[in-house]
Amino acid sequence: MSSLPLPVFLVLALILFCIGLFGALTKRNAVIVLISIELMLNAVNINLVAFSKYGPNPGITGQIFSLFTITVAAAEAAVGLAILFALYRNRRTVNVNEMDQLKR
Amino acid sequence: MMQYAWLIPLMPLLSFILLLLLGKKLKEASAYVGIWLTAVPLVMSFIVFFGQWGGESYKAEGTWLTIGHAVITFGIEINPLNSLMLVIVSLVSFLVHLYSKGYMNGDERVPVFFAYLGLFTFAMLGLVMSPNLLQLYMFWELVGLGSFLLIGYYYFKPEARQAAKKAFIMTRIGDVGLFIGMILLFWQVGSFEFDDIFKAVASHEMTHAMITLTAILIFVGAIGKSGQLPLHTWLPDAMEGPTPVSALIHAATMVAAGVYLVATMYPLFAASTAALTTVAVVGGVTAIFAASIGLMQKDIKRVLAYSTVSQLGYMMLALGSGGYVAGVFHLTTHAFFKALLFLAAGSVIHAVHTQDIEKMGGLYRKLKRTGPLFLIGALAISGFPLLSGFFSKDQILAATYEDGRFGLFWLAIIAAFFTAFYMFRLFFMVFTGEFRGAAKEVHESPGVMTFPMIVLGILAVLAGYVNTSWFGTFLSDYLGKGEVAPLASNHEPIWISVVATLVSLLGIFMAYLIYKKGSLSRDWLSRHLPSLSSVVYNKYYIDEVYHAVIVRGVRAFSYGWSLIDRYIVEGIVNGAVALVHWLAKLGSKCQNGQVQTYGAVAFVGLVLLLLIFAVSGGYFS
Amino acid sequence: MNEILLSILVFSPLLAVVVLAFTPSNQEQSLKWIGLFGTLLPLVLAIITFCQFDIGSSAIQLNEKINWISFTIAHTDSNVTMPIQYELGVNGLSLVLILLTSVVAVLAAIGSFTIKGQWKSYFIFFLLMEVGMLGVFASQNLFLFFIFFEMTLIPMFFLIGRWGYENKEKAAYSFLIYNGLGSAILLIVFVVLFMKTGTLNYGELANIFANGGSGLLDSVPGETFRLSILIALLLAFGVKLPIVPLHTWMLRVHVEAPPPVVMIHSGILLKIGAYGLITFGMGFFPAEFKRIAFSIAILGVVNLLYGAFIAIVQTDVKKVLAYSSVSHMGIVLIGLAALNDAGVQGAIFQVVSHGLISALLFFLVGVLYERTGTSYLKAYSGFVKTMPLASGVLVAAGLASLGLPGMSGFISELMSFLGLFQTKPIVAAVGTLGIILTAVYMLRAVMAITYGPLSAERGKLVDLNVREMVPAYVLLALIIAIGVYPDMLGMTIKSTLDSILSGFGG
Repeated sequence: MSSLPLPVFLVLALILFCIGLFGALTKRNAVIVLISIELMLNAVNINLVAFSKYGPNPGITGQIFSLFTITVAAAEAAVGLAILFALYRNRRTVNVNEMDQLKR
Repeated sequence: MMQYAWLIPLMPLLSFILLLLLGKKLKEASAYVGIWLTAVPLVMSFIVFFGQWGGESYKAEGTWLTIGHAVITFGIEINPLNSLMLVIVSLVSFLVHLYSKGYMNGDERVPVFFAYLGLFTFAMLGLVMSPNLLQLYMFWELVGLGSFLLIGYYYFKPEARQAAKKAFIMTRIGDVGLFIGMILLFWQVGSFEFDDIFKAVASHEMTHAMITLTAILIFVGAIGKSGQLPLHTWLPDAMEGPTPVSALIHAATMVAAGVYLVATMYPLFAASTAALTTVAVVGGVTAIFAASIGLMQKDIKRVLAYSTVSQLGYMMLALGSGGYVAGVFHLTTHAFFKALLFLAAGSVIHAVHTQDIEKMGGLYRKLKRTGPLFLIGALAISGFPLLSGFFSKDQILAATYEDGRFGLFWLAIIAAFFTAFYMFRLFFMVFTGEFRGAAKEVHESPGVMTFPMIVLGILAVLAGYVNTSWFGTFLSDYLGKGEVAPLASNHEPIWISVVATLVSLLGIFMAYLIYKKGSLSRDWLSRHLPSLSSVVYNKYYIDEVYHAVIVRGVRAFSYGWSLIDRYIVEGIVNGAVALVHWLAKLGSKCQNGQVQTYGAVAFVGLVLLLLIFAVSGGYFS
Repeated sequence: MNEILLSILVFSPLLAVVVLAFTPSNQEQSLKWIGLFGTLLPLVLAIITFCQFDIGSSAIQLNEKINWISFTIAHTDSNVTMPIQYELGVNGLSLVLILLTSVVAVLAAIGSFTIKGQWKSYFIFFLLMEVGMLGVFASQNLFLFFIFFEMTLIPMFFLIGRWGYENKEKAAYSFLIYNGLGSAILLIVFVVLFMKTGTLNYGELANIFANGGSGLLDSVPGETFRLSILIALLLAFGVKLPIVPLHTWMLRVHVEAPPPVVMIHSGILLKIGAYGLITFGMGFFPAEFKRIAFSIAILGVVNLLYGAFIAIVQTDVKKVLAYSSVSHMGIVLIGLAALNDAGVQGAIFQVVSHGLISALLFFLVGVLYERTGTSYLKAYSGFVKTMPLASGVLVAAGLASLGLPGMSGFISELMSFLGLFQTKPIVAAVGTLGIILTAVYMLRAVMAITYGPLSAERGKLVDLNVREMVPAYVLLALIIAIGVYPDMLGMTIKSTLDSILSGFGG
């Protein structure tokens, strides 16, 4: 199997990251914002794995690190959804625009 | 004996400390502490004086402060001039202590009074024994402190408070002149020692301009202390203090310190004609100016105060005209007769409880000892022949004449006339005629008060004979021995004596005509020249002018500055605070609570950082 | 013992802090006495330190040095280790200031007996502040200096803000903001110096700037760099001193803080500014200091006259004293600007002398305030009658402050002006106007309180009690002792002075 060059993975990660970023910054629905964040994290994972294979110092560190990231992402999703549920119970909304308690 | 001379000033200091610590317990007995601890220095001063007469000079110093390589010393010096001053100061001080025992009797703060007197005496003795200019300056300020405390002795009187403050501040204005002069001399000579300074002057190490400048600055100090024009106004106000204080500080010793300063620094002054002229002109003008004010005053002590100012002007005139001996001679005789006059005035005040001469009269019969003693003092100061003032004033006139400044000479003659006139105006109004006061019983003062007056009376008669052209010029020879100063020659034209005597007698006679016989009306001047008489009566409005221009000016300036401080400087600070506040408000507006906005801002920030990094290539490259 | 003597000295107040922490907060008397003993311990240790000190030597003595933090950074060709050390040591100047600190702290602790409420936290802050002050003067490393410097700020903030008078919060914030700005500048300066030279030790820094070489840089940092660092230092310590347009915070503190805290503040904290200018400004950058000396002289004269003129019309005795502090700090600047033996010695004398005099004056103001509940001059009159001792000491302190010979204020005034007259006679001549003005405002304030008629409603004032006599007499005795025999202080600082001045070429 002929190996694809590193930039291909990086561009994929970039696209994924940008989509995630765009979603996280613009979507009104908090659930979609959380999903977008997952996208960004996965973009990072792709980068990590790609570098660990094709980077200047190939090794296993990147892959292990991406495992950590996945774990953290799972935890983050769980906590994030839990907060969202609590919020929904109190305020009956998942609209991010209405979540401005930080200001008060 | 000389090696123990340093004990002389320490005795009164001991009295000061003892009375401060134990005054409450000693009460009336504290007077004895003060008297004994000035009697001992008096005896020692005489021993030192006669030792010095025998030709023994003495100087001892120790390190006081090191500035870089210059060592500033502290010590004592005994030379002809200052051993003479030692005797004058300790004698008058002792007599005044004695007199105060009677005068202050019954005052509940007697210990404090004697403590202050001790402090003053300490400072004054220290002043005259100083071997260097810095030490002199320090004691110079300390005598000012003594004077300040004693003027303000009746602290509850607002006038006394004002007078004390005024005395301190006005003399301090002069002191700053001395301060600057002293520092300039230090950098010229590299030392504060008198000897080094005179050596530098003699060897032309200093430029002529510098000599003149420093001499005049030092003279400014003397102007302040000796109440010369234009810093004289504190001295009459200083009469708010108890009368013995006026006699000691504001007649005999402290105010004469200015004359002493000029005399001590004489080689410096002598090297500059301009400086001498300044001294002579200031002295001469002050002499006539103060004498003219003395003509119209109604307060017995104020008349004497203006007379003091005028006589100090005489001494300055003498020094400025090259009459070193004449100046010091007059200082000596003046110390005695003016102290006598003040003590006698105090005795009068003690008897009638007023200072207004309009409310006195006919006291000669009632005050059997004070009256004649006052007369002796008045005759002495007027220059009545064969009394002490006659000889010293004569020499001043001769020195002025020889110096060739005839304008000043005639001013001095007129001032002599004024002096005789106002002294006898005082005498006739207080001691002759009918009693105009309210006091029912008028008692002569106790012996403890009259004894010092008698001693001073004897001295006022005899002190003149230490330096006459008839019996011998002991004082000139004595002062000349220390080779401190060039001396004026002593062959005066005889007509000066005659003129001076005639003028004095004329003054006395005029006073007699107006105030005793009544052949001339008393208010002749105020009727014929009302404007002139009111100007003189109000002391030429100098106090008023100072108040309007300087006091108000400084106050207005200060007030203006405090407004600037409050509104502009603080305003800028508050402005800065407001700016920060405004920025913070602006910043908090950006904080809208929208997580997505924050994320966007963070992202834009990152992008900007990366862009900068990409363009500049990083900090470490 | 000598190896750790300074550390013990600096941290000795902490002993009492620990004891205080375990004392119940309602036991008023024991809290106060523990606080007082807590300040006595450093005094004893400071005296021991003084005995161990060799006056003749100009070297830093009683050195302690422990490696504390070190990190490595990449430099052009090799990695360089940059250590931050815990370094203490004293020279003549800092020793004198340590003694001053420990003396004033004891007396202020005695004065603190009048503090109302919350004694526990008061004395804890008080003692922590003392640790900071002692540390500032004992440290030999800029990093350590900075830490101790900050350690004086925070307790001070609380001391003003909690135990002060009506506008205490505003005063506390103004104190914190100004001094915070000052110390921010200081921090930047220290970091820049560290990055450029790789050391924070005073001696090494001075050596690098004098001779070049041994630092990180092969060449000596350039002229502009040094000048800007010096000006930044002047700004940072100018806030503390204070130099004129930066003085308004100090007025608020002097008016609002409780009197014992003002004793400490005016007596010692302001002196840190002068200490910093002398040790860092003159010690590290003599040539540049010489360049801006003329401006410093002008600043000094402006300080002197500005404070004096405004003090003349103040109606509150605390404000008079506050402006008088501004004015007297001008004399420090005047002395420093002279750049000769006399001037710098005068500045150091003024630091010590003003520390004693202003501590005494503020102590007495505290005594008066406690009895009358006011500090307005109009409310006072004729106190000699009922409070002869307090009035006597007050008049003496006022006279000391206006520079009467025989007291310490005169010596410093004389030497500062003596110095400045040699180098800049015209500026100095203008400055002498301040001598007259000082007499005017000081006498006005002091005599308004003590002299004059006693108003009827003030009949029941009691004079100084024994507890109040101790600080009053001790301070007065020290003031007079220095005034009568100044070489006592002069000898201690002489060798340090010589080494500072050697930077100016003799």
